[in-house]
Amino acid sequence: MTTTSDVVGLTTAEVVEEEGRPPAAWRAILASTEGRIGVGIGAAVLFVIIFGRFFTPYPPNAVGIGGATTGPSAAHLLGTDSLGRDTLSRLLVGGTHIIVIPLIAVSLAWLLGGTLGMLGAYRGGTVDAVIARGFDLVMSLPPLLIVLVAIAALGTSNLVLVLTIMVVYLPRMGRLVRGATQAVITNEYVAAAQARGERTRAILFREVLPNIMAPTAADFALRITYAVIFVATLNFLGLGVKPPNADWGVMVADGRGYINLAPLGTLAPAAAIALLSIALNLIADALTQHVTRGGREIVPL
Amino acid sequence: MTVRGEVVLDVDGLSVGYVRRDGSINTVVDSVSFQLERGTILGLAGESGCGKSTTALAAISYRAPGSRILSGRSQLQGVDLLGLSTQRLRRIWGSKVAYVAQSAALALNPALTVGRQLSQPLAVHLGLHGSASRARQVELLESMGLPDPARALRRYPFQFSGGQQQRVALALALSCKPDVLILDEPTTGLDVTTQARITKLLRGLVTDFGLGCLYVSHDLALLATLADRLAVMYAGEIVEAGAAGAVVSKQRHPYTQALLAAVPSVRRPREVVGIPGRPPTSVVLDACAYAPRCRYVLPACRTGRVAMRDPGDGHAARCIRLEEIEKLPALGSELAAARPGRDVLLEVDGIVCAYTGAEGPAVNGVGFVVHGAERVGIVGESGSGKSTLLRAIAGLHRPQAGSIRLGGIELAPTAVKRPRSVRREIQLVFQNPDSSLNPRHTILDIVARPIRLFRDDVPRARERETVQELLDAVKLPSGLLYRYPAELSGGQRQRVALARAFSAKPSLLLCDEVTSALDVSVQATILELIAELSEQTQTAVVWVSHDLAVVRTIANRALVMRDGEVCEEGETDELFAAARHPYTRELLAAIPELLPA
Repeated sequence: MTTTSDVVGLTTAEVVEEEGRPPAAWRAILASTEGRIGVGIGAAVLFVIIFGRFFTPYPPNAVGIGGATTGPSAAHLLGTDSLGRDTLSRLLVGGTHIIVIPLIAVSLAWLLGGTLGMLGAYRGGTVDAVIARGFDLVMSLPPLLIVLVAIAALGTSNLVLVLTIMVVYLPRMGRLVRGATQAVITNEYVAAAQARGERTRAILFREVLPNIMAPTAADFALRITYAVIFVATLNFLGLGVKPPNADWGVMVADGRGYINLAPLGTLAPAAAIALLSIALNLIADALTQHVTRGGREIVPL
Repeated sequence: MTVRGEVVLDVDGLSVGYVRRDGSINTVVDSVSFQLERGTILGLAGESGCGKSTTALAAISYRAPGSRILSGRSQLQGVDLLGLSTQRLRRIWGSKVAYVAQSAALALNPALTVGRQLSQPLAVHLGLHGSASRARQVELLESMGLPDPARALRRYPFQFSGGQQQRVALALALSCKPDVLILDEPTTGLDVTTQARITKLLRGLVTDFGLGCLYVSHDLALLATLADRLAVMYAGEIVEAGAAGAVVSKQRHPYTQALLAAVPSVRRPREVVGIPGRPPTSVVLDACAYAPRCRYVLPACRTGRVAMRDPGDGHAARCIRLEEIEKLPALGSELAAARPGRDVLLEVDGIVCAYTGAEGPAVNGVGFVVHGAERVGIVGESGSGKSTLLRAIAGLHRPQAGSIRLGGIELAPTAVKRPRSVRREIQLVFQNPDSSLNPRHTILDIVARPIRLFRDDVPRARERETVQELLDAVKLPSGLLYRYPAELSGGQRQRVALARAFSAKPSLLLCDEVTSALDVSVQATILELIAELSEQTQTAVVWVSHDLAVVRTIANRALVMRDGEVCEEGETDELFAAARHPYTRELLAAIPELLPA
């Protein structure tokens, strides 16, 4: 339904938008320029991350394939690192971590934090106090500290990374959902459901959830961006991926000592990280704009 | 001194449009002309979307965002306001022309004291400062009938009641002794007794100050009692204009006639007649805009624009058959009364409800009974506890004391704890369908939910069919099953809410201000529908409303509530004809009434 509103209007406040079905988040993203650019860049980066492994000119972990720390050449388009490994090959395989870990961690944080946030907002009272103060407690700890302590205690592994990043983002996402839910539950359709005697679960997932999807989806996209940068930071600090496996964060860290000799060894993975986060940011932006317009605008497709 | 009758604002051929997204213009007000005379009130009536507010704002050259004044003149003592620069308009707005919006709570700045807000126009337009300004402020608040003006100046808007806030807004508007006063629904949302006090005050101010006043309202009965002249708008045009008494007593346009037939009355229980169809969404330039809904339509109505015509007595209408229309009898007859059974269905006894932090209880020991198929009205002003009482019956508010019995069985205080059969029997309809229908659910989802929960006799496979039957029963057009609430009009949404309530086959329908958010012509159709459905299905109705006339129309028995207590109860016919409690009498006296006593 893309009927534009032709309203015999009074003041703008009284103009009733005769809107169609609120467009899906995806359509909203594709309708805006930044959304389309974001999706374009994101698709390209994602293609490299997923299929790059099949196009590597050399084995990515093979030491001494070329000379140590060389600049670009015909044989090695992006040069080689200090151990003589081919930078292009390592770039093509080094992106997996940086996207998969944030995706899983943020999804988990969204599911758990969102459920807790909705429950707290709906139940109120003690339940809400416990959940909200719990969120505050975790948020009062610096994210890097949480990760450092966890890695120091448990060692580094993908599971530890996913769980710690989830712990970092859970209260932040839960908070947003809690706020959105508080606004939604004042609506009379929630009272109508209560009068029908619906269970809490049915009210939260049937009545509330569809109405808070838009703002939380925007938040989700934004959190992924942060998490990508966070994982890159951890890898840069040597807390994530173990050598010799290639990773963009690790490559930036390893290559920066030789930036004069082989600048692309640092710049290429840095650019890849930047492109990925820019793409995600643009998508998040498009979503946010869609949400702040209240999803009222009818997006022509 | 001012002369009564002198024209202060002369609006001629005013047309306003909104700019569409593709750049084209959607004309919403076309060729509107009227004059404001000193010491008189012109009432501008019409339903939502007819362009009355746009007209009022454009007349003082205020352009709402996105709107454009297409043509016309608006002369304030010989100066055309529409041609003036914003700078010059700013000097006129607030000093010569004043505007009061519907919500004083939004019009007043919550962060500034009343004194600060009053001092600003006095300083800007009149150059008054210090003690001179203060003296004028006190004088203004005094003339608005606010108690203890000196103290009131130091207080913030939120420390006043809604009616007092509107008085402050009026004081602000009149601070610089304007010639023209524009009021846009200034008493909508206020209690009737408050409204009566404000309009009485206003009448005096208009006479004393020699104001030319434009009063925009959806409330025909109010305008009929308050205004000197009345103009009725439909689809961006004035369709009828004349002396208020003449317009109300012998309508010359079928729309005015239908609109008046839709207004309920406290004087006698008459059937309210709704207007079928919906108004056009923009100005109709090549035919009579009302033709598709008109019961007296002729082929000629559809082929050309109809001009305003005045048979010579200053009472004009935009109808080719106006001489015949005025001779037609008024629409509306007696409403089929409810036929209550003898068995007691609902028994409410000694209910006490309180909110934490509130001073006294919202409901204080209320008890009443509802018989099967009976329609009981509960009337009261805001804060009387009528909605809280209804929520307690519905199991949405836990009462501190008292008992609620349905069919002799004691009910648990919360809905979740009540057995399924009880939850099925009690259904609730809310005031605002925007809020009571989940915007992310389709109409099918919404109406099917109670069926799935409560109707064992309807198998899954027959759900869709049953929903369609219900939508037919509430007279909704077909093809709405997969639509979302936002795609429907306000009246249609309320019909969906009714379909949802009736889908459970209840024995008791609780209605909370169900028609308050609707236009009067839509309200009439909803009232007709509820009367018909409750009659057919022998469903009892508890109807909570601030509107006595609506209660008079729908209910056979009524309770009057005040400050959490029932102050009078009785059969509606007796109660409204001979009220015994002074508060009921005060309420009845405050109601503007179309019908003669």
